[in-house]
Amino acid sequence: MSLLKHAKQYLANQSKYAHLNAFVSLAEPSKLVSHADVKAERRDVKDKPIAVKDNICTADLKTTASSGILKEFTSPYDATVVKLLRDAGAVVCGKTNMDEFGMGSHSTHSYAGAVTMQRHSAEEEKSAGGSSGGSALAVASAQCWAALGTDTGGSVRLPAAYTGVVGFKPSYGLLSRWGVIAYANSLDTVGILGKGVQDVRAVFDALNAYDSQDPTSVSPSTRARLNNKKKDSLRIGIPLEYNISTLQPAVRQAWMRTLRELHERGHSLHPIRLPATQHALSAYYILAPAEASSNLAKYDGVRYGSRAEGIDGSPESVLFAKTRGQGLGPEVQRRILLGAFTLSAQAMDNYFIQAQKIRRLVQHDFNRVFTTPNPLLDEMPEQSEYQPLVDVIVCPTAPTLAPSLASVEDQDPISAYMNDIFTVPASLAGLPSISVPVRIARDEQITVQPFEETAGIQIIGQYGDDNLVFAAADIVSRISPTSQAQSKAPDVTSWGASISK
Amino acid sequence: MLANNTRNAFVAVSKRPYVWSIPLRFQKRALQTASQPPAQDDTPFRKALKDAAKQQKKATRGGNKAKKASDPRLEKWELTVGIEIHAELNTARKLFSSAATSISESPNTHASLFDVAFPGSQPHFQKETLIPALRAALAFDCTIQPRSSFDRKHYFYQDQPNGYQITQYYEPFATDGHITLHAHDFPAGSAPEDCPIKIGIKQVQMEQDTAKTVQQPPSTHLLDFNRVSHPLIEIITLPHIHDPLVAAACVRKIQTILKTVDACTAGMEMGGLRADVNVSIRERGQTTGGEGLSYSGVTGLGQRTEIKNLASVKAVEDAIIAERDRQIQLVEGGGAVEGETRGWTVGSKTTKRLRGKEGEIDYRYMPDPDISPVFIAQDLVDHLRTNLPVLPDRVVDVLVEKYGLSVKDAGTLLSFDSGDRLEYFFEVTNQLARTRLIKPSDPKFPTIGKAAGNWVLMELGSLFKDEEWSADRVPPEILVSIIQQLLEKRVTSRSAKKLLAEKFEGDERDIDQLIEDYNMQLRPLSSEGYRNLAQTLLDEKPDMVRDIVEKGQEKKIKWFVGQMMARSPEGTVEADVAEKTLQELLPTKKVE
Repeated sequence: MSLLKHAKQYLANQSKYAHLNAFVSLAEPSKLVSHADVKAERRDVKDKPIAVKDNICTADLKTTASSGILKEFTSPYDATVVKLLRDAGAVVCGKTNMDEFGMGSHSTHSYAGAVTMQRHSAEEEKSAGGSSGGSALAVASAQCWAALGTDTGGSVRLPAAYTGVVGFKPSYGLLSRWGVIAYANSLDTVGILGKGVQDVRAVFDALNAYDSQDPTSVSPSTRARLNNKKKDSLRIGIPLEYNISTLQPAVRQAWMRTLRELHERGHSLHPIRLPATQHALSAYYILAPAEASSNLAKYDGVRYGSRAEGIDGSPESVLFAKTRGQGLGPEVQRRILLGAFTLSAQAMDNYFIQAQKIRRLVQHDFNRVFTTPNPLLDEMPEQSEYQPLVDVIVCPTAPTLAPSLASVEDQDPISAYMNDIFTVPASLAGLPSISVPVRIARDEQITVQPFEETAGIQIIGQYGDDNLVFAAADIVSRISPTSQAQSKAPDVTSWGASISK
Repeated sequence: MLANNTRNAFVAVSKRPYVWSIPLRFQKRALQTASQPPAQDDTPFRKALKDAAKQQKKATRGGNKAKKASDPRLEKWELTVGIEIHAELNTARKLFSSAATSISESPNTHASLFDVAFPGSQPHFQKETLIPALRAALAFDCTIQPRSSFDRKHYFYQDQPNGYQITQYYEPFATDGHITLHAHDFPAGSAPEDCPIKIGIKQVQMEQDTAKTVQQPPSTHLLDFNRVSHPLIEIITLPHIHDPLVAAACVRKIQTILKTVDACTAGMEMGGLRADVNVSIRERGQTTGGEGLSYSGVTGLGQRTEIKNLASVKAVEDAIIAERDRQIQLVEGGGAVEGETRGWTVGSKTTKRLRGKEGEIDYRYMPDPDISPVFIAQDLVDHLRTNLPVLPDRVVDVLVEKYGLSVKDAGTLLSFDSGDRLEYFFEVTNQLARTRLIKPSDPKFPTIGKAAGNWVLMELGSLFKDEEWSADRVPPEILVSIIQQLLEKRVTSRSAKKLLAEKFEGDERDIDQLIEDYNMQLRPLSSEGYRNLAQTLLDEKPDMVRDIVEKGQEKKIKWFVGQMMARSPEGTVEADVAEKTLQELLPTKKVE
């Protein structure tokens, strides 16, 4: 057994960037060894250190979901995606910090403290995005080769956009959720973060398999029906609704430049309408908390997890009121209460049911614009003759670049929820979607930065068109790649800082 | 054919030995403040069964009393009751995990990761659990829904690991059934006049059971997760019941049907079944126009209360009576019934308030996003329907039409020993018919059934009066050979009874040997011999002859019959021939 290639460099980066708080636990350095005995078919993943978000169960490292109530919890089993990584010869190098149970957009709501992104000593602390901010920043700062995250409403794509890495959310049901701590099951997906599209794709290929342990795993027969066609020239949709007035000019310019470059490379551009998008965010923030309030009811400290000091409960009450009050953080409590309300008899019809209807409309919107019919539906939606059909949609991942943590702290929760406005529609429809960093030209920068600045450009495809999304992402990533994406060794960050050995 | 089917049905029921060897399970339930006196888990099974039988006898007496005493208040107020019954399904695995179901295994040895709600675990619907549930729903004539789904019912309690119970709230798998109560479904003599009574069943749904809490005062709660996610069905009747006795009969019959179709693990007395009842009263003759409340489409009802967690048929009946009387008293005293949840403890005189409307739990029902809908194909439904064991009502018809029993005897046979006595009866009758070369289609077949019924119910019944039924005590072939000896006139009926008593007490000699040892062979007297013996006796007792002839005291003839048998060797005098001879010899009454 020998140390992994670049193991020392990764370890050095981990200590150099420890202050970013990207990890909640790290594997012993002695674990970063090559498993020569593993007969891995995917050489690109073998012997690679991969970080795993802390809401994905690992039997060797604690799985806390960055929550006080699970602060000492170690799962008795590996999640299927972790098992598949290990089978492919990858090494789990640590568990990454996150918003508690995946609830947040800046990775600040963590029992382990906020994830902080500081790309330059002169820069004020920025948000790494959330909830997979730890995974994204771990990749961005070259502390690992790639990372697993989870994406419920944009939790992989948003941090990828803020930190300048690639973040992919597959079609719902392709990657197993067995062993992934549920936030909102009908939206939760395992996502992948990496410095380049090909790395992310390699990890995806290693994980993309039917799992009988996940009841929502797409069956082998449906997988066989999914589209695998290749296209030389793509029809690219530009959703007009996404050009909102609050879109930061730098982001808008990066989007426009990307579209222009795509056009120049022979792909055709088509304006499309996704009218239900304007309601998508409100629907998401009803559905996700509703499911969360249900999923998090199990955390009571009775069978596992932490309990409050002293005697909890009275003869009239359950034995864990105090435990839950102390163990769950304020944002989690807020969403549990929101969800409990929208599911209550008095609010169900006006909130939960309405939101489900909007979700259906959002799915319908997407089905109307894609050339590929949705393989999960028997019927084709009615096509409007004024609506062009497209292969993929290209739009910004987030309305702004990474905001400062100070501004985030002053934000009310509703404004924080606004960060997810472009990522939530694909989550509601279960569509594959990827965020690719696109460098911002110096003249487009708001204030000229002493580092490479990027904006996240999102590519959304029809359900099951994950390959097409990767193909489009590959094209976009070549437009103005980051230094990190071009480097072979972990010696440069996503913002272009070279790390000396 | 029919006879065979019927038999197989009951054979199937009794071939589940574990039901008979397990200790009792009385459990404290979630949300349960009032509960049955917790019987010890080591209560011997026989003793518990006996107690249950005693209880039922008592319940029957109580029911009769209540019926006889006409309460003027009941003339004024009409009671309305709906019942929800939870029954543990007889399945190998849990509802949402491949962990085995278990009855009395060591605590926490049968629980999967999902059963104890470990982070990241997911449910796996075990579709085989549908089979007994479907059988039950078909037995209640329900419409099986081609599509049904599972929902989460949220409430916090330590015996509910996920913080919700998975149930079928929005789309249950079976709807619109019914159950019909006939006179034979009631304890003897207590059947209401309006029989048969049809009670609608709104729906049958599948759901999970909870863990078992063992409380160790003052502050320890031990949790056993073996029972978590054991599949249950909940059967919800419409508020079609207006008599506590009918409610009790309904629960009893549901229990019998569930057992007949092999849907359930155990009966109510064994903790396999629990009932909630909702009770309301309204003034008779008041046709409420826009007034009154409506439940499940039944309109014009009074405010109802719900009594939770009744663990025996008697508790159902008594709790309803107590709650009805409480409501009448309340309303007559100028008060109003409040919608609330109440509890009942066996032996108490009234129900106890558990929580009011303001304390009602909002269960926040939500479709479970991890469990896809269940699609049930028509061919599966058809197959199960075709192969459904013969239901009790049909069995009664068969017993009356094919086996020559009275409706009353048929009902008795059905209700005894959880169907074991019936199975025994079928075995005896069919063996006897084969021995006598009588086919089921033969017009003489009913007489065979009638004879066998008499022996199984009356003769064997009186021997078993104070003892637990066991088919092995007098195996069917022994009883068959005794009856055969009698029918072949090789022994007298008195000898036959004696033979039965000997075998019952465990005599190991075979029947032929016994007959020989006791010198029981029938060597009938000649008619001359009968006449001589009769005449001698009549001459000895002229007073009695006068009483018979002149005062019409016909019963005294029996005394002479007895004397004739007593004075002759065993197996020589048959009672009916003796009586006939006596009748002939007695002087006819002079017409004055």
